[in-house]
Amino acid sequence: MMSNIIFMNGYGIFVWSSFGLVLISGFILYLKTRKTLKKYEKEFLLELETLPEAKKKYVLENSKIANKILVENSKTN
Amino acid sequence: MFNFFSPTNIFLILSRIQKFINSIFFPILIVSLVFALILSPPDRIQGDAMRIMYVHVPSAWLGLACFSAITVLSILAFIFKIKNFFYINKSLAPIGLLFTFLAIVTGSLWGEPTWGTWWVWDARLTSMMFLMFFYISYILCFKFIKKEQLMLKVSSLIAILGAINLPIIKYSVDWWTTLHQPASIKLGVSNSIHSTMMLPLLSMLLVLVLYGALIFLMKYKTEIIRIKKKSIKRL
Repeated sequence: MMSNIIFMNGYGIFVWSSFGLVLISGFILYLKTRKTLKKYEKEFLLELETLPEAKKKYVLENSKIANKILVENSKTN
Repeated sequence: MFNFFSPTNIFLILSRIQKFINSIFFPILIVSLVFALILSPPDRIQGDAMRIMYVHVPSAWLGLACFSAITVLSILAFIFKIKNFFYINKSLAPIGLLFTFLAIVTGSLWGEPTWGTWWVWDARLTSMMFLMFFYISYILCFKFIKKEQLMLKVSSLIAILGAINLPIIKYSVDWWTTLHQPASIKLGVSNSIHSTMMLPLLSMLLVLVLYGALIFLMKYKTEIIRIKKKSIKRL
């Protein structure tokens, strides 16, 4: 049973390579995309930190996106 | 009407959808892999090599679907002057490229045991390769053209030119004598594929759709943050 699943009557190398390639390349793109997203979120928050306190408060009150990023990052940190 | 397409609205909706996909993705992936690799029966003629279909066919469909969406959105963006559609396209293109690349490589891995060759200059395979080149040039145009107006024009032109290739890919197996088999699944017509193989195929399609959606959401969120970062001091 187990050897049937692994070797698939001689086609195992082709089948497993195909599925492996899809999973690995998918995983690499996922990691790369997530890393870029986190980098931009951090840069956005750093930019927010450089603002004067009153302006920062104004941005947080008026920008839902800024709020969301701040909340999501405070959860992960 | 177009207020709905505002970056803020979309960003908030995307965050919710992303969480939902994250929660259902892995269970669906595991079940689909079990069906595709273990539970579905081997093909009468091709044997177990046919299992490659479960990743090859959905990848090809999604590669085509992403480029179709890019073309439609490019045209709409030009007519209605909605820049947001270009950011959607920019986020879609790498996903489409990945799926097209996977369709070509898994097709090659399927070709060796069934046709006895990794590659032939067959109409379907060649037109798919052209699609990959269109994706690459589309992505490179966003990367290397710095003037925004020029970039938008060039990217739209590539999208429209690439759209000519889409019907060629679809009908290449009917118009020319090709090594690639004709479509087994047609909308509105009875399929030549058994339900025991159709179910894993559809579930693998769902997995790849969810994966594509997840990557798209993250890429699109990145684009929105990039724009907001530029305008934060102007708020």
